[in-house]
Amino acid sequence: MAEIKLTINGKECTAPAGSTILEAAELNGIHIPRLCYLKGIHKYGACRICVVEQVSPPARNLQAACVVAARDGMVIETNTPRVRVARKAMYELLLSNHDKKCLTCARNQDCEFQALGRELGVEDSPYEGERCLLPLDVSESITRDPNKCILCRRCVSVCRDIQTTSVLTAENRGFHTVITPGFSLPIGNSSCTYCGQCVVVCPVGALKETSHRDRVLSALADPSKYVVVQPAPAVRVGIGECFGLPAGSCETGRLAAALRRMGFNAVFDTNWSADLTIMEEGTEFLQRFKAVLGGEEATLPMMTSCSPGWIQFIEHNFPDQLSHLSTCKSPHEMFGAVIKSYYAKKIGKKPEDMYVVSVMPCTAKKTECARPELMNDGVPNVDAVITTRELGDMIKSMGIDFLSLPEEEFDAPLGLSSGAADIFGVTGGVMEAALRTVYEIITGRELPFPNLHVPPIVGLEEIREATIKLEDVKPEWKAAEGFQVRIAVTSGYAGARKLMKQIEAGTSPYHFIEVMGCPGGCITGGGQPRPRQDISIVRQKRLEAIYGEDERKTLRKSHENPSLLEFYSEWGEPGCHASHEYLHTHYVKRGKYNNLTDESFVVKP
Amino acid sequence: MIRSMEDLARMKAAYQEKMGKYKYLALVCYSTGCISSGCKAVRDAMVQEIENHGLTDMVAVIEAGCMGTCAVGPVVYILPDETYYTEMTPERVRDVVRRHFIQGKPVQEYTFFDSLQNKHVLNIKDVPFFRDQVRIALRNCGLIDVNCINSYVARDGYLALARILEKGDRAAVIEEIKKSGLRGRGGAGFPTGVKWEAAYNQPGTEKHIICNADEGDPGAFMDRSVFEGDPHSVIEGMLIGGYAIGANHGVVYLRAEYPVAMERLQPALEEARREGLLGQDIMGSGFSFDIEIRIGAGAFVCGEETALMASVEGQRGEPRQKPPFPFQSGLFGQPTIINNVETLATVPAVMLNGASWFRQYGTEKSPGTKVFALSGNIVNTGLVEVPMGTPLSEMIYSIGGGIPGGKGFKAAQTGGPSGGCITKDYINTPLDYESLAALGSIIGSGGLIVMDEDTCMVDTARFYLDFIQEESCGKCTACRIGTKRMLEILNRICSGQGCLCDIDRLERLGHIIQDTAMCGLGQSAPNPVLSTIRFFREEYEEHILQHKCAAGVCGDLVSSPCENTCPAGINIPGYMSLIATGDYYGAARIMLRDNPLSGICGRVCTHPCEKRCRRGTVDEAMNICELKRFATDWAYRQGFPTDEDLKPIAHLDKKVCVIGAGPSGLTCGYYLARLGYQVDIYEAENRAGGVMAYGIPDYRLPQEILEREIHNIERAGVNIILNTKVGRDVAFDDLRQRYDAVFVGIGAQKPLQMHLYGEHLEGIYYGLDFLKRNALVGDLDFTGKKVAVIGGGNTAIDSARTAVRLGAKQVVILYRRQREDMPADKEEIKDALEEGVELRTLVNPSEFLGVEGRLHSITIMRQNLGKFDSSGRRRAVSSGNSYSEEFDVAIPAISQTPDTQFLQNELELNGDRVAADKYTQATSMPGVFVGGDAHRGPEDIVNAVYEAKVAAASIDKYLGGKGELYKGFEQAITDYHIEGDIVPHNRFLTRQVEAEEAVGSFIERNLGMHELDARAEASRCLRCDRR
Repeated sequence: MAEIKLTINGKECTAPAGSTILEAAELNGIHIPRLCYLKGIHKYGACRICVVEQVSPPARNLQAACVVAARDGMVIETNTPRVRVARKAMYELLLSNHDKKCLTCARNQDCEFQALGRELGVEDSPYEGERCLLPLDVSESITRDPNKCILCRRCVSVCRDIQTTSVLTAENRGFHTVITPGFSLPIGNSSCTYCGQCVVVCPVGALKETSHRDRVLSALADPSKYVVVQPAPAVRVGIGECFGLPAGSCETGRLAAALRRMGFNAVFDTNWSADLTIMEEGTEFLQRFKAVLGGEEATLPMMTSCSPGWIQFIEHNFPDQLSHLSTCKSPHEMFGAVIKSYYAKKIGKKPEDMYVVSVMPCTAKKTECARPELMNDGVPNVDAVITTRELGDMIKSMGIDFLSLPEEEFDAPLGLSSGAADIFGVTGGVMEAALRTVYEIITGRELPFPNLHVPPIVGLEEIREATIKLEDVKPEWKAAEGFQVRIAVTSGYAGARKLMKQIEAGTSPYHFIEVMGCPGGCITGGGQPRPRQDISIVRQKRLEAIYGEDERKTLRKSHENPSLLEFYSEWGEPGCHASHEYLHTHYVKRGKYNNLTDESFVVKP
Repeated sequence: MIRSMEDLARMKAAYQEKMGKYKYLALVCYSTGCISSGCKAVRDAMVQEIENHGLTDMVAVIEAGCMGTCAVGPVVYILPDETYYTEMTPERVRDVVRRHFIQGKPVQEYTFFDSLQNKHVLNIKDVPFFRDQVRIALRNCGLIDVNCINSYVARDGYLALARILEKGDRAAVIEEIKKSGLRGRGGAGFPTGVKWEAAYNQPGTEKHIICNADEGDPGAFMDRSVFEGDPHSVIEGMLIGGYAIGANHGVVYLRAEYPVAMERLQPALEEARREGLLGQDIMGSGFSFDIEIRIGAGAFVCGEETALMASVEGQRGEPRQKPPFPFQSGLFGQPTIINNVETLATVPAVMLNGASWFRQYGTEKSPGTKVFALSGNIVNTGLVEVPMGTPLSEMIYSIGGGIPGGKGFKAAQTGGPSGGCITKDYINTPLDYESLAALGSIIGSGGLIVMDEDTCMVDTARFYLDFIQEESCGKCTACRIGTKRMLEILNRICSGQGCLCDIDRLERLGHIIQDTAMCGLGQSAPNPVLSTIRFFREEYEEHILQHKCAAGVCGDLVSSPCENTCPAGINIPGYMSLIATGDYYGAARIMLRDNPLSGICGRVCTHPCEKRCRRGTVDEAMNICELKRFATDWAYRQGFPTDEDLKPIAHLDKKVCVIGAGPSGLTCGYYLARLGYQVDIYEAENRAGGVMAYGIPDYRLPQEILEREIHNIERAGVNIILNTKVGRDVAFDDLRQRYDAVFVGIGAQKPLQMHLYGEHLEGIYYGLDFLKRNALVGDLDFTGKKVAVIGGGNTAIDSARTAVRLGAKQVVILYRRQREDMPADKEEIKDALEEGVELRTLVNPSEFLGVEGRLHSITIMRQNLGKFDSSGRRRAVSSGNSYSEEFDVAIPAISQTPDTQFLQNELELNGDRVAADKYTQATSMPGVFVGGDAHRGPEDIVNAVYEAKVAAASIDKYLGGKGELYKGFEQAITDYHIEGDIVPHNRFLTRQVEAEEAVGSFIERNLGMHELDARAEASRCLRCDRR
């Protein structure tokens, strides 16, 4: 790529052609304060904090460094009195329409706006005046506080450009501009998928998860409840960041220890039910596959159903294609169903005395646990979902020094899992875990890839695909001999939308598709710690960490998990009647404008 | 189908032949303005009447576009007579059919009324409003049939396009436009040719041209008019532009508020398609082009090109950062050119007539013409197209017909809410891009709002900012919150809650917003505020420090317009109410509270209150001044004021010296005495009253009236020492030592010299000296003499009238400008003329010639009218032509100045005047205050009263008091107000002594009002103070 040369603050700088002034400065070690800009997601020029003086070619006005292209020969000053005065004024103006309840804000001391004020040396709010006061908007997953919003529009960009859902948008104009779902609907009545990517990018406390901390604390304090906790695979590669560890730290042992210190009656692992999911979902795929091979009616491609955001997405956007979804509940819901039936019986408890808490990298799981179809025996499968971030905060508030904890194991029997379960937390992981099992069932041989990884589907590209040829199959699968199974993997709704368009048009070449709602999968889910650096770097590090966790294990395949085999010996075989009653579910046609259902996820404050 | 130039020529010939058969063409304006004033009924009536008289072969009735005079619609323009009928009704139209078409006699009383000539004008060419225009963009508006492409072709429409397509040289088109210097008429003024060239040079086969018809500036409607009157000119302009840059797709972005424009454009596009002028392979050239219409939903910001494109793409209408510019990455990321309607309508004319033709109009850097929308306080509101560089003064006073109600010009806002204001000091500014930019304003899309003296500039700034902050898209912080905060500060100031630091805050924030906002809307949003602060900072300060809105606009600061305007601040609605109920005594008490010279003011006040009276908008302003005279005369006869009414509130041992027993000195002394100070007034002459005693002759202000009020002031405790001139009989320094504070109220007594040859001849008296000598000495007799009075002010008129009374056989006033420019009271001029005074205008003496040391004749230079000056009057310029006329006496009365010789080493002076703080009247020396003419120069009495009151309060504060005047007892007000509809009735007048009788003596001419008339007059008051 061609290079350009420019002068910033008197320093000769080089940058690739096409860089913005801000990017060029950054590359050359010059920091320009900014607020709305978010690398790779949002270049918008709204806040005007990053303004700089363009000395040559002379510009009449200050230029927003995040959107103005750097050009060869430019001379830029980023720190003149004129610039500093303007920047501070922009901050003070934003502050004048902000509720300033920092002490009681979920983002206290973790707020980009707050930090910027310190950086700019703001000590006063000289422009006090009318404020835009609006009510809180609370849904099962996401709470929107417009009074904290600074209209940076990152959420709008991530929702529209990254996730293609365009739920959040700017309404009204001028001073009365507000970020809201269209027609000022509450989020809980919109076509939001609750992926929480907006929550991750929000620089302030305007978008946050709807907290389940209080209900978890009440359950823990209630002696009549047997409180079981289960963290999702991706939580172990995220939780460390809550305590200042670098991205990519895998903290499985200390996570188990911390949960135990918090007072849960049993510290299990969602990983166990990830292995369970593979058994159920693998079996479901094999059944559909076999039917198709035999010329019977069955819907292919089959699509994974672990990601509740993705489920919500397809229900809203492709309500006529729900038969492509696997009927399997997501792993933590399966887990809850098992805890409250199989396990409760084992320890002599009634389902209603069991309380299941899921720790998830996800905000959509909060809505998921409120779905009426995810209930058995009159009780919800899962009672509370806390995000990785909430867990970090709870550990801190309970006075547990996470970093000095010993590494501990999860409780038996439902704490044991395979490496296949770990990689559920990353895009491509569910597919790979399924292939490890399904391939072996059909051929009797191990998946023929080095280290059991399927290279074409490992990575972060939007859509990855692979073709697996079935050869030398077991006799009972002879109909599949020579069959080339085509699979596809995607994360984020942009890719999912493309794959669904193919399905809708009847041109999908695939048999099995994995979709995760968040770009990169659960490792960068809406409930994970907000990245302290470029999201793409963080994503890559967490990905490597989760594959590392898989590789560290000797147990790599779900169907070899001994605890699971013992469970099935009592439960029945995968896909049995009990499985269908407890481990499988059905879906709801919602429609693009939430027009096909009366169901709402609005929470009355 | 039009496939060639021959086809065009055929169409043109056919149309001309068809129309040539008619004797008359009646073009009925069918634009929005005239539609709303009822042009459809007018047209129908005309068609019907023509049928009734069997004239259908003689008169063609055509629906045409706007000629720019929307305020006097519906209009009908008759060709070939060039008769312009305004304010048509079906009734009048029937009259026109009979008298004009059948009898051949145009109906003069229905034609355009030209305020400059003060008459209805038969031929449009004789009206400056039309005569001074050069219509290029509007060349066809009002002159062609808006529903018919043939009429456009008949005026050489599409000929430019045909020639261009035949030649097939795209670069040449761009070159011609570049040579013409045509600049974007939408506001930014970017050279159109340069823009086109940039798009032409962009790679890519998909390009677009957008016509920006999102006209949003308040008051501007030229784009609408072009679409309504001549839609094909824009279509042809887009075709030419599209061809030049290589675009095949055009979009007209039209605002939804323009349904009539839409009604015209849609069929025009269909016609053009039908004729093969839009679509594939236009005129066989291989060039394909079509145009679609997009309707904007009414966001002002969508006039900004990037926001406009976002809107066309279906996105929220918000601007984005430039670069990339639209020519690089525009609509759907493809090269796009966006031109304004007026620019595009101009393009075919430029291509048809050539760049040098276009350049003959306008200035070097701003060639051509520009359409302006004149609105606000101006007689001829509407659309005008003039050469760039036309002076603003011409626009206002000639084309615009001046300011209604004879009010003064204050400022003109150009460029709408993004622009700025031009003040009277810059009234001759040429209207072009550079000149306006130099004043911190812009041409913008051509909105030109004229504001008269009754405009509050703080409120004006607030209006524009309110508009712009409503229209902010909300994207960037600077505009979204910044303009809101600025508006809040302005609201504070307008409600009297501001502080001086608010002005700094507005400036600071304004500059930051200009510097940081993303798009043009935000960057220019603070302009009206910054511009009004720059030119009218005093108004801001007045709102903040005095809680006063002189224009009477800011509701929270104003009780009623009259009271707000009265410098003395008298509760006028209050005494109106009392007079209406018969409590004249109470009315006089209300007046005494704020003005101890009410009886005098009831006779000679300049009554600025009446100019602002809202009753004037119904029929005539209240006769406030005469009612004041009536009530005081009545009350004084009843023994008002009593000793109780004049009692001081305290007795203090501090002494104040007042120099001069004129209006300011007397007033200041009065209020200080009422606070309990011991006041001595030193008066140089042998009589108290200053100019009131000897500058205003008895026929206007009888001595007993003056003496009555001076006596009241003495009763209040003021001691007047006559025949003692400070600087001659007593030293200023001595007074300063002996008294605790000093008030200087010496007035302006020194006549201004003319500096002409022969000025010191015998027989020449300066106006004020002359009046003084007559009043105090009384030794002059002009019997049989011919007298010249030089000047146009009240002193000149009084001199002339006094000369008449002294027996002069002929008295002539020589005035260098026109009669309407004379500063003297209109009533006084009228009275003087009645009394036999002659008035000669546009003449100026150049020398006085004498015989044996006595004036014999005056050489008089004839004057011509020059450019307008800042007062809105044309300058008098020497014509070089002179004549000589014999006179026995000459009285130059051009002006006076204070005689401050004795203060020269004591106080800071401003020329001859004493400099003072405008809020306290404090001079440069502690303890010394000033007021009246000594400070302001020659002014009226009521302003002297105002300054004296301010000074009295300041002196009290200086001497340890609270600085609050003691005005006496509160007067209860019986509320009187007639409920129900207002019944129109002109003001009640006073009785006058006949002129023939009056000139024989100095008896008072005005006999005042009868009680019955007074009560009726007072009950006309609208009581604006009632909320």
